[in-house]
Amino acid sequence: MIARSVALQDEDDREITSLLGAYIAFATGWLVLSTAVGLIVAFKFAYPEFLTSPYFSFGRLRPIHTNDTFYAWASIALVGLVFYVACKTCATRLYSIKLGWVTLALFNVAAALGTVALDLGFNNGDQEYREWIWWIEALLLIAILTAAYNLIMTVARRKDDDIYLSNWYTMGGIIWTLILSTVAFIPLYQYGLGQVAVQGFFMHNAVGMWFTPLTLGLFYYVLPKLLNRPIYSYALGVLAFWTNLVFYPIIGAHHFIFSPLPWWLQTLAIVFSVAMLVPVWAGSANFLLTMRGRWEQVRRSYALPFVFVGVLGYLLGSTQGTFEAFRSLQAVWHLTNFTVGHSHLTMYTFITFGIWGGIYALVPRATGRAPSLTLAGLHFWLATVGMAIYILALSIGGTIQGLVWMSGAPFIDSVTAIAPDWLWRSIGGSLMFISHLVFAWNVWFMLSGGERVISRVEPISEVA
Amino acid sequence: MEHVMSGPPLGNVFVALVGGAITLWVVFAAIRMLIAPGETDPDHPKYSVLRGDR
Repeated sequence: MIARSVALQDEDDREITSLLGAYIAFATGWLVLSTAVGLIVAFKFAYPEFLTSPYFSFGRLRPIHTNDTFYAWASIALVGLVFYVACKTCATRLYSIKLGWVTLALFNVAAALGTVALDLGFNNGDQEYREWIWWIEALLLIAILTAAYNLIMTVARRKDDDIYLSNWYTMGGIIWTLILSTVAFIPLYQYGLGQVAVQGFFMHNAVGMWFTPLTLGLFYYVLPKLLNRPIYSYALGVLAFWTNLVFYPIIGAHHFIFSPLPWWLQTLAIVFSVAMLVPVWAGSANFLLTMRGRWEQVRRSYALPFVFVGVLGYLLGSTQGTFEAFRSLQAVWHLTNFTVGHSHLTMYTFITFGIWGGIYALVPRATGRAPSLTLAGLHFWLATVGMAIYILALSIGGTIQGLVWMSGAPFIDSVTAIAPDWLWRSIGGSLMFISHLVFAWNVWFMLSGGERVISRVEPISEVA
Repeated sequence: MEHVMSGPPLGNVFVALVGGAITLWVVFAAIRMLIAPGETDPDHPKYSVLRGDR
């Protein structure tokens, strides 16, 4: 009986490992593609004559970069990781491995069709982060729906009464995103100011109620496991979960300050942007206090440095977002390249580093194959230095740009003033892209290339 | 700052007061949990997740 149970468990482990590997492999492919496109877009600022064909025009490539980063790289990687975390924390197998494969196929088909359609010039207009045409958006919505069903049914099969904190965040994020995507999908009320309000609701919440809770859920599992130490305060994590739910949904309107949206809505968005400091600082403090006194362990691990930068990205990026919501600062930064720097501070420094931390923590545990410590370090430092150059260049350049606009000087003066920063952005972006190639090599090594170096029960940090 | 849809000042005051009150309450709760996390029961999920993997 025991032998049969162990055999079944081994089979479950093999199935979820194969599924996780496929999600990570496809996500990595999309990361390389979407950031190659991002790099071309970055170089177009410094060299406007670079690649002038319509298929390589800024208007087509920019949404390919953002949509593929969002819905192909980050979404596929996070869904794969949260499936794995749900199985482990609930001590059960995934509700349906087959449905897991269907979800992966739907994400990939939507991303492939979306990429081709955008490059051919078919899009949903200028609605940021939802430029895919409606039936491709529908495929994405079905992908999220199938993922939600599989995740919730898996957690429902848990043996304990409690639902571990990670699953609160991941199930919350996936349910909120279903609501968000449905509201953004239905066209009935999306005209005039209604469209502006829905766009504010969708574009900001796609980050804060999809990627953020899924990544935080990952942190609440990965950090205790890697450090072999419980999270500092479980209750604080629960408080951060509920305050995120209360404060976050309304704050997207701060993207439309000084617009014809009702003034009270703009004010409410600013007030709750300040209130968001509570879950952000509480969550960050919780992670940093869990790591306290274990810095040598963080330094020796190949996963923990990525998680550490991810936590700092969450703290700095979200706090910066609060300040950006103030009317006085919005007057300077709105529509400048500062916002692009902010987007990368959150989606890259927080979300992408967080995903990398999760992959380096969990994939070796699942496959038993660890990447080279040197190459993991090379990935980390190239990405970190590149990201720092990129964000500093756009933060400084964007501020100068805004101040020149406010001074009433001719527009071309702002272009001349920010030109050196655009070149620095391309240099930083190049380092980031090279780091992605190193990461892709590491993923191949963890999935199939490397020899088996660690057992499944051995804490990762001790190996690194 | 002036805006064509700024509405009556009392509306803005009401929004700021209610939002501010909720914020202050959760700030207090967060500080209390940071200072004294408690959670010493060995069966608490924060400990069992370290053991309960499969």
